[in-house]
Amino acid sequence: MSFMSPLLLLSALGVALPILAHLLNNHKYQETSWAAMRFLNQAIKVKSREIRIRDLLLLILRCLAILLLALVISRPLTEEGSALAEFGEKRVGVIIALDASYSMLHEEASKKRFDLAKEKVEKIVANLTSGDPITFLLLGMEHRVLLRNRAYQAGSFQELLDAQEAHPEALDLDNVPRRLKELVDEMDAPQKEVYIITDAQEQDWKTGASRLQYALKDLSERAKLFMIPVLGGHENLSMTNFEFLSGVLRKGTTARYSVAVNNYGSQPALAVKVSGKINNITVDNQLIPRIGPGEAETISLFMPFQNPGPAKISAHLPDDALSIDNVRRSVAIIRNKVSILCVENKGSGSFLTSALLAREGGATEKDYSVTSIPWISFPAHDLKLYDVVVMSDVPTITDDQAKKLDQFVRNGNGLIWLPGESTKWESWNERSKLGSAFLLPAKLEGLINTGGAMGIGRPLSLDIQEHSVSNPLRSLSEDLLSEARFLKVYQVDPSPNSVTLLKLAGNAYPLLLEHSHGRGQVFMFTSLAGSEWNNMALTPLFPMLLQQMVTYLTAREFEKPRLVGSSLKLSYVEEPDVTEAVFETPSGESLTVPVHSHKDQHSAILSQAEEDGFYLAMGTLQSPPLPIAVNVDTSESMVKCLNADDFSETFKKTGVNVIFNDEELDEALIDSRRTHSLWKFFAIMVCLIMLVESLLSSRLPKAKKSPVTQKGA
Amino acid sequence: MSTDHSKVEYLKPEVLKSLGNLEMIAKEIVSGQKVGAHRSNLKGFSSEFSHHRPYAPGDPIRDLDWKVYGRTEKYYTKLYEAETNFECHVLLDASSSMNYASGEVSKLEYSKYLAASICYLILNQQDTVGLSVFDSRLRAHIPPKSTMGILVEIEKSLREIESLPKDGLSKQLNDTALQLKRRSFVVLISDLLTDVDDLMNGLDHLKHDGHNVIVLQTLDPYELDFPFKGTWRFEGLETDEEVVTQPDRIRAEYLSNLEKHLEDVQKRCVGSNVDYLLLNTSHSLGTALSRFLQNRSIDRMSPTSGVSS
Repeated sequence: MSFMSPLLLLSALGVALPILAHLLNNHKYQETSWAAMRFLNQAIKVKSREIRIRDLLLLILRCLAILLLALVISRPLTEEGSALAEFGEKRVGVIIALDASYSMLHEEASKKRFDLAKEKVEKIVANLTSGDPITFLLLGMEHRVLLRNRAYQAGSFQELLDAQEAHPEALDLDNVPRRLKELVDEMDAPQKEVYIITDAQEQDWKTGASRLQYALKDLSERAKLFMIPVLGGHENLSMTNFEFLSGVLRKGTTARYSVAVNNYGSQPALAVKVSGKINNITVDNQLIPRIGPGEAETISLFMPFQNPGPAKISAHLPDDALSIDNVRRSVAIIRNKVSILCVENKGSGSFLTSALLAREGGATEKDYSVTSIPWISFPAHDLKLYDVVVMSDVPTITDDQAKKLDQFVRNGNGLIWLPGESTKWESWNERSKLGSAFLLPAKLEGLINTGGAMGIGRPLSLDIQEHSVSNPLRSLSEDLLSEARFLKVYQVDPSPNSVTLLKLAGNAYPLLLEHSHGRGQVFMFTSLAGSEWNNMALTPLFPMLLQQMVTYLTAREFEKPRLVGSSLKLSYVEEPDVTEAVFETPSGESLTVPVHSHKDQHSAILSQAEEDGFYLAMGTLQSPPLPIAVNVDTSESMVKCLNADDFSETFKKTGVNVIFNDEELDEALIDSRRTHSLWKFFAIMVCLIMLVESLLSSRLPKAKKSPVTQKGA
Repeated sequence: MSTDHSKVEYLKPEVLKSLGNLEMIAKEIVSGQKVGAHRSNLKGFSSEFSHHRPYAPGDPIRDLDWKVYGRTEKYYTKLYEAETNFECHVLLDASSSMNYASGEVSKLEYSKYLAASICYLILNQQDTVGLSVFDSRLRAHIPPKSTMGILVEIEKSLREIESLPKDGLSKQLNDTALQLKRRSFVVLISDLLTDVDDLMNGLDHLKHDGHNVIVLQTLDPYELDFPFKGTWRFEGLETDEEVVTQPDRIRAEYLSNLEKHLEDVQKRCVGSNVDYLLLNTSHSLGTALSRFLQNRSIDRMSPTSGVSS
């Protein structure tokens, strides 16, 4: 016999109490004279032996009751086969961890893996006794504990189980053993069993096998560990990528989106139809003739935008065994037109304007305009009319202008900045500092001559940052890139959150930097497009970069699509007049989130998006709802399960019991539950003993015997 | 008979004890009984008997009724009216056991008041009353008198007596029988915590001598109910015994023994034409006396039994 709380056995010392009471009782009495001794003596003669025996019996019963009570609170356990086992009851604490990642939604012969897993759970709990401690959790990116060390009640548990669904998220397997260990440790039960029910995805269980083995071995020393795989097929088509590729997100234009479709199955997928939708209206259909097993195919979808404003854009695959990964979403803010304000030191006619207009349709395009002005007249222009401002060789700006530009960029517009001969760099550094933030992505530190001894200048570094602006340059030939030579650049100190897109070869002087400012972006060159500075304007590089920048700044998606489980942020341009923002989930639920302010930045953050689909963020009561796309993590789409042999092999020598079918589960339940809890048996014994004690000591109510009476004759 | 309840309440033994003077106590008790019962009670004590009985050797020749002889040729002795004067003798047990008191009043004190009351009643009727006090032997004997002074003598006798354990009642009863010259009423007041055979031996002697015997058994309520709780040490009043026990455990057996004893006494008294009355010393003396007088059926001269309630 073993004990769950052996220290409480010390309470058996309480047996001294009845013995002490017995001894004291026999030595403490009252005295009286008595006439009718003859009747007393007769009574005592009859009763004294009986009383002595009864007293002794009572003492023994009381001592026994205290000893048994000590046993009860120490919660004794016995193993199957021992003499006491048949008086005990099988009490077991159960922890059921159910994989609820979205791969469990894969359908196997008309039933989802998750539903098959729920049937396994029902089988496990069928043998539980009411009151057994149970912990039930769903595994995912975050492990949700639904019941924590609670007393099992069949009805309420079934209701809870029925209400559960898999979540649109991947499985964070690395954290599972640690989480289970915590739950095992806090469980209070004579015997603990842990059941992990999962579809045993190959990508999870094979890659992390050695780590898992170690962790699960540790866990199996604390509780009996059962691994119940719900294995199935692995045919699945998944849309793994959907992103804006090119074009302008402007009313009346068409943008190109790239779609990648993976075939994770073992059979080739033929004639896969991909549909593009804007605000749930199909606008394009493409057909992928064949996707080989394990291969991915990329196609383009063309999205024509008819209306300005935020657009919910999505790409869809036909339904298959796992349909949750057959759609990906994105959001774009469609503009009415694009206007660029070009502010230069000496007015128009520079390379800049030509480079900005070097596009299809040129300056005649009605929805695309470039306005060039000298910097002197900059204050007179209303920035609200423009989407992008280009400032080239502007000596300096006033504080007011700096604030105007700051507001302009924060509102979601773009700024492209180039230095020049007239640039007063110290003044720019000063004006650029706006509170704790900087308007420009780097601090200017003075002009440097990079012409070298030969005066031929320094070429671009071939180490080009991956960015949608600089990406086209990566595809250019090395010769073409090396044509551009730089004689003078400003040495800069990039701010921490800036990205250096281009730099010069050798000494790694940055040439082009970018950073986000509010909802907008700022690009900064460190060299002017002029012959004294470089020959960039004579190469295709300059117009290419400028065009990419304008496209990027105006065709930028409002918010990058998020993944389920990530946070959603709504930024405010100005301090809002509300304290709460509202996020509406794809299923229509409204979530209220407080607005936080930090260093003049105001935002409302929904800590976790739990559903996939379009969320709607409402910053204020008046503002129109802004959609935010939330997609599933495609890492879960590879639904291929480990085969039974590999699965068994994974848990060999770890003490984990792998159970493949119901018969094995039945046997395991019988074999594992060998510990019997005896406390109830002993508690009943205590009650019986106390009952007998009460009867013996005449404490129970009984008919009162009337005193001596005699009837008159 | 109507009862004045305020008087009855007043006659509680504890209250009477505070009065001190025995004559006053007796007067209080008896006057309580006489309210609304002027004639009936005392009538029961007047022994108007005048009859013949067959001649027995030793009877005075002058008492033979020659007229009856003349008609029937049989000798009958004629009993004269002068011999029919009512005389009562009270026997009071003052042995150690009578000293037990669970409350304020012991059985002996209760019995004393009872004896005084009876004496007062009889004296009040111009009849004579005598008293004997005994423990293991006869301690005091006051010959029948018809003056109230006897109450003072009773008190004096009881004060002088140093109670000793009684070893039986028959001897004392036999002694009393020998001292009584005339046929009388004999009232025995005792707790009767003695052997029943021994008791009946004495009572039968008295009956044989032609006395009317009345037995008043006085017992303490604790002796009757045995309501002790916890552990007690009992020290015998008539023996040196000591017993430590838990009374609530032996209560049933004790009560059974007591009941058996009381039943035995009662049955045998009835069998011997002896009036028997069990009195609880916690009850009012007036009630006890009333019960005693009600149970008396002097006309029939038949024995009765009962308990005071």
